[in-house]
Amino acid sequence: MSPNLVTRLINNAFVRDYGMIFVLLVLAGLFSALTLKQQHPTGEAAGRQVADFIISRNGGEARVLIVTRNTGDDLAFANGAMTRLKSAGATVLDNVNGVASDAKRAIDSILASGGEIDAIAANDVTAKWPVYDRYPNVGSSKCVVPSSYTWPDFLKVSNLLGVANQTAIYAMIAIGMTMVIITGGIDLSVGSLVALASVGTAIMIRDCGGGVQAGLGLVIGAAIAGICICTLAGAFNGFMITTFQIPPFIVTLSMMMMASGLSYRLSKGRSIPELPESFFWLGRGETAGIANPILLMTLLYIIAHVVMSRTVFGRYVYAIGGNAEAARLSGLPVKRILMSVYTICGALAGLGGVVLTSQLSAGDPKFGLMYELEVIAAVVVGGTSLMGGRGKIFGTLIGAFIIAVIKNGMNLKDVDPFNQKIVLGAVLMLAVLFDTLKRRNSRE
Amino acid sequence: MIRYSTIFLLALSVAAAGCGDSNVKNAPQGAQKTKEAVKRKGTIGFSALTLTNPFFKVIADNMKVEAERHGYDLIVVSAERDVKTQADQVNEFIVKGVAAIVLNPCDSQSIGPAIVKANKAGIPVFTNDLKYAGSEGEVVCHVATENYQGGKLAGEAMVKLLSGTGGKVAIIHFPQAESCQLRVKGFLEILDAHNAKSQGDKIEIVATLDGGGARDEGFKAAKDTIEANPDLAAIFAINDPSGLGARSALESVAKQDQVKIIAFDGQLIGKQAIRDGKIVCDPIQFPDRIGRSTVEQILKHFNGDEVPKEILIPSELYYKSDADKDPELNDIRIDKQS
Repeated sequence: MSPNLVTRLINNAFVRDYGMIFVLLVLAGLFSALTLKQQHPTGEAAGRQVADFIISRNGGEARVLIVTRNTGDDLAFANGAMTRLKSAGATVLDNVNGVASDAKRAIDSILASGGEIDAIAANDVTAKWPVYDRYPNVGSSKCVVPSSYTWPDFLKVSNLLGVANQTAIYAMIAIGMTMVIITGGIDLSVGSLVALASVGTAIMIRDCGGGVQAGLGLVIGAAIAGICICTLAGAFNGFMITTFQIPPFIVTLSMMMMASGLSYRLSKGRSIPELPESFFWLGRGETAGIANPILLMTLLYIIAHVVMSRTVFGRYVYAIGGNAEAARLSGLPVKRILMSVYTICGALAGLGGVVLTSQLSAGDPKFGLMYELEVIAAVVVGGTSLMGGRGKIFGTLIGAFIIAVIKNGMNLKDVDPFNQKIVLGAVLMLAVLFDTLKRRNSRE
Repeated sequence: MIRYSTIFLLALSVAAAGCGDSNVKNAPQGAQKTKEAVKRKGTIGFSALTLTNPFFKVIADNMKVEAERHGYDLIVVSAERDVKTQADQVNEFIVKGVAAIVLNPCDSQSIGPAIVKANKAGIPVFTNDLKYAGSEGEVVCHVATENYQGGKLAGEAMVKLLSGTGGKVAIIHFPQAESCQLRVKGFLEILDAHNAKSQGDKIEIVATLDGGGARDEGFKAAKDTIEANPDLAAIFAINDPSGLGARSALESVAKQDQVKIIAFDGQLIGKQAIRDGKIVCDPIQFPDRIGRSTVEQILKHFNGDEVPKEILIPSELYYKSDADKDPELNDIRIDKQS
């Protein structure tokens, strides 16, 4: 690569704005390599494989015990093995779907009736139960398990969807925070607003709708009301900042304390689990195999991207962050825009609170603790400048994912929890450092 | 800039992952795998409430020793009292395919969905110290201190302390915690029984205040009580930090000789205070036994034995005479002198 090409690449607008995506991909690759591990299949195909092996080893007259757990995949495994064994003429002594004590009972009854066990069709988990070694003529050596394959823990679909699901709430709130930070402000109250929305919604469902029996209409109403409370709190933040010129840091710090105190007071410091099943759809439900919070997050990001890059409002937000005084002199409605930005931030925090409540199936004043810092970190790592005027909505999404991937990767590698904090702090520090260097470069 | 950032992040992650490896010496890796994998029976994941409180650290350390003795690895993570963090950690345990999950639920209700998820993945869930009180999902076994019996011990110690004289007693409570409710319940039952048959030495509860289970709030609660009841005879605090907060309050008004304190827990700070005569006695908990017993139940479960739904570990009274003999405290005294 010629130096010319490298310079062009770095100066390329896409790379400059979304260069973090490469960092994300590199991290993903790194953690895939580090979490490479032997995986043990279960399911129908694995069941057939085990059955074939038993038949080839013990012959068609084999007397086989099938031991699996009571999960969907394990039941498929048991069915696969059973069908194949029976069609080959082998005897299935019993089919255990449960825990080790169920297996013990099955073996007891087989041995009591004078039966003998030639082989145990099991998967990796059930084969490791020490229960078989209790019987001298059974023993865990009779277990046959499906052959394993190598695949990274990190790249399992369930893990990737899990990471996206864990990040969704932070990422949603981070949209509002990005806008606020682009105007050169900050909002420390989002964490407490998450708790306030959570408690507000849950109390409304419990006290107005009768808790678990609450109808769908009331549930939706309560969720909207919970978001509205936070929207009002956000509007109040904006009002105090624009009307009295109080620094956003102080205004939102006060709101952070007030909202947290209020949510503890309303809930009397306890969690509120009296919520109906219908409320859980938002946080725990799935549409087309993807968790609803992920879909909601994606939708919000598309809307926010269009608003920030294609509308007058978006341009104004950047203009105010670039130079508020110049924006005012050019006749921009600075106060109105700032009001809207803080209101949007409050509303999204409220939405995050409702989603979290639905995900964890209880309203709780302890929710949202330190979320403001998580969210600000995501925005900063995503390349938005704390000085205002610069930043991209999708950059924030990538920032949120970078943090989530690092956390997830470290958890999968069993990094000590205290070391994790050090690493995350360092990542944030580096992100701010690059922002500063980038500005200096562009000035030169 | 992008190039630099990539390199930095890479270096950082490698360093982090490096730390990880050094922390899990027991995870079968690379060449050792074939040999080790046969002996290793699996991994147990433990999400602690917090590791900044030594109580949970002791539980974790004892679980680790016990698990390794029986061929299991233990992964310890800390939820730092945040339910969402804990739910995410359970998710990661499931991805890793651990054999069993142990939790100190950060919330007695909202950890439910995570337990359901683990159940669906066929991973048995155990809890210790803190109990899961929700209706969905299944916990195989819960191991904790027998708080009700501990409260009774505190009551008996109080009766003994005030025998012949009787007097006014205040309770520094932490009503949010179910464990503390049980402690106070047991305490009050013994006092009621004593008062029913007592002649002139009745013990009167003059106040029950919320001390937040913490030193600063215990200080405030005790200060208010002593203002309102200058002739207070004793205080029962539901844990060591709030008991020590009460002690500071008494010292600030020079009433530490008049008002005796009985606390709960037997944390190191509490045991030291008992040795120094600041607290009369504690019904103590045994986090080491809680940790070991939890692992024992997991082994029994995998061994095909029936496991009880709940195991309660009895508390014992701990006086100054016990503290003087306690090797744990002697070590510290030597440390301080040297």
